Amino acid sequence: MLKVAIVGCGKIADLHALQIQRIKDCEIVGICDREPLMTKQLSDRFPVKRCFTELPELLDQARPDVVHVTTPAESHFDIARFCLEQGCHVYVEKPFTLYADQAELLINLAERKSLKLTVGHNDQFTHVARRMRALVQSGYLGGTPVHIESYYSYDLGDPSYARALLGDKNHWVRRLPGKLLQNVISHGIARIAEFLTTDSPQVIAHGFVSSLLKQINESEIVDELRVIISEETGTTAYFTFSSQIRPPLHQLRLYGPKNGLIVDQDHEILIKQRGQKFKSYADMFIPPAQFAKQHLGNLLTNVRLFLGRDFHMDSGMKYLIESFYGSVRDGAAVPIPYREILLTARLMDTIFEQLTVNKSQNLRPAALSPLRAD
Amino acid sequence: MSNSTTNIASQENGLLQQDRFIVRPDDRILVTGAAGFIGARVLQNLLNRGLRNLVCFVRPSSELSEIEAIIEHRPPDARIELRKGNLLSREDCEAASKDAAVIYHLAAGTGEKSFPDAFLNSVVATRNLIEASLRFGSLRRFLLVSSFAVYSNCDKPNANILDETCPVEEHPELRGDAYSFAKVRQEQLVTEYGKKAGMPYVLVRPGSVYGGIKSDITGRVGISAFGPFLHLGGSNTIPFTYVDNCAEAIVLAGLVKGVDGEAFNVVDDDLPSSRKFLRLYKKSAKNFRSIYVPHAMSYALCYLWEKYSKWSERQLPPAFTRKRWHSEWKKTRYSNQKLKAKLGWMPKVSTAEGLRRYIEACARDRRYA
Repeated sequence: MLKVAIVGCGKIADLHALQIQRIKDCEIVGICDREPLMTKQLSDRFPVKRCFTELPELLDQARPDVVHVTTPAESHFDIARFCLEQGCHVYVEKPFTLYADQAELLINLAERKSLKLTVGHNDQFTHVARRMRALVQSGYLGGTPVHIESYYSYDLGDPSYARALLGDKNHWVRRLPGKLLQNVISHGIARIAEFLTTDSPQVIAHGFVSSLLKQINESEIVDELRVIISEETGTTAYFTFSSQIRPPLHQLRLYGPKNGLIVDQDHEILIKQRGQKFKSYADMFIPPAQFAKQHLGNLLTNVRLFLGRDFHMDSGMKYLIESFYGSVRDGAAVPIPYREILLTARLMDTIFEQLTVNKSQNLRPAALSPLRAD
Repeated sequence: MSNSTTNIASQENGLLQQDRFIVRPDDRILVTGAAGFIGARVLQNLLNRGLRNLVCFVRPSSELSEIEAIIEHRPPDARIELRKGNLLSREDCEAASKDAAVIYHLAAGTGEKSFPDAFLNSVVATRNLIEASLRFGSLRRFLLVSSFAVYSNCDKPNANILDETCPVEEHPELRGDAYSFAKVRQEQLVTEYGKKAGMPYVLVRPGSVYGGIKSDITGRVGISAFGPFLHLGGSNTIPFTYVDNCAEAIVLAGLVKGVDGEAFNVVDDDLPSSRKFLRLYKKSAKNFRSIYVPHAMSYALCYLWEKYSKWSERQLPPAFTRKRWHSEWKKTRYSNQKLKAKLGWMPKVSTAEGLRRYIEACARDRRYA
């Protein structure tokens, strides 16, 4: 029986507890939060053995094998490091750390102590993401991706989070180096990082405050971001983060030398895009029929998964946790390679650095400067 | 009547009633959630009763136009302090509750689907406020505005009448409703402080508060989560209380002597059935298609949903459960006798008049939407 602990009993801890109790051969031996009432509300609703308000006591008395860190991002590094030092495997919610050097330190520490470490990029383990990965690994793209596009939307109208953030000038998200972006873009960036092959690609970032936020006198929260990433090997990527585009998108588009793939996470749809063209008018009749067939296939897959009780909203999280526990138990590879975690952190660092520099100098990136009509 | 005339009349009214109240006009009174739907009415009611030392605690993000209008038109001798802050901050709680004789605690986490968020903004915030206020030794009453959502609506002592003697939900975690979970735990917390720290408190449980610009239809009538509006209330009585009547009850419960440790349900007289209300709404405010779901069927659907949710390991969240059915859609009658007998409350706005105003506001709202 794997002994699991959760540190931080807020909103995201609920999702962790829910998924952990669905996984066989593990139990929540302890939860910890500085606010004892918050541990109480979690233990009221989930099978939890003991509640703690101090991390050292949790580790000392409950002796967990794995610790899930579900606290606000600014404390991830210190808590994860302490847990690793005390010999626990650690699952850190996203964003992994505030800075890439902290991510590197944690990974080195885990490797030195032969412990496992992962980050909550659970969107990469939904059913549709796993189907996409299997196709890529089977060589469907025809080689390394030539171009990647990742879209990640965020609805600021969500009353439970965004209003609290916008209304509270002391909200913890405002204290993050990348503010709102730091707390939400890692899912979309990690999708790109998975397919990059070098460790330091070039990045051009352009961020701005949407007109909607400007109307309510918000000048700090950047809620629109466009990023261009390019590697020496020739792979390029666009990342789009937006609070304003409709419909809200959570998509990944992969284009290889032979074929392409579109992953629509919102609707759990995977569409294969054949690189080969049909002759003449056939190219206008056969592909639509093929797309219709693919959409029908996606529908049937989703229905089958639902009827099979395997289509939960957070199925990606369960898969990731289960895979991570598997790697802890039998020493298998971690579900998210450390290189990918580190690259995601580095890309985010670079994006936030550029936004800060551009803001302080009131600059737009050179590549995005307005064209002159000479 | 001019403002000044109203104020003099109100002052006299307040002075006349002072022997019934636990406070004097200059005692400091804190209202949390003062910018909310009910809070602004509570503030106006307190002013009308001649209370002259008020502190309004609001979130930094609150819409303040209504409260600012009240402050602008306050009686010349009245002092109203507007404090922006967060009840999750102990410092903010201390600053707000300093020397308060009565605390009207209306602020709550509403509309939140997340259990931790609802709990944090209701229970933890309430704990902070109580602890801060107890430090000053000036507190004569802590009034918590709770909700009908705390009742299990099962095993009622008086047939199908829901009154203050009815049991509170013992396992709110099983209802699948974050709001009722937080409200039950919030009441428990206040009661514990009453027992352990000797804190004088009163609980006020309003039914479905309506009026003003709040134009959504209560879930007790029906829901539209699945597309067409499902009318679940049928012939049930809806426990409406017009916002001004509710504010009046809250204010009295905070002031009247001899009711410490009591709970009061707030519903108006002459309550309409769900069917009658829906007919009126569709006729005068907004017409839409609704499908009536008989009680036996809604119970069966809640039962099946609950079972499926458990069997599928929450592939569907337990949003519809038998506990929720008992709480919201079971045929129930309501009593306001205790409120009238112990607080001398009477609804100043009749249900007929309240509904007329509400429907008119809804129709106007729709026109400008």
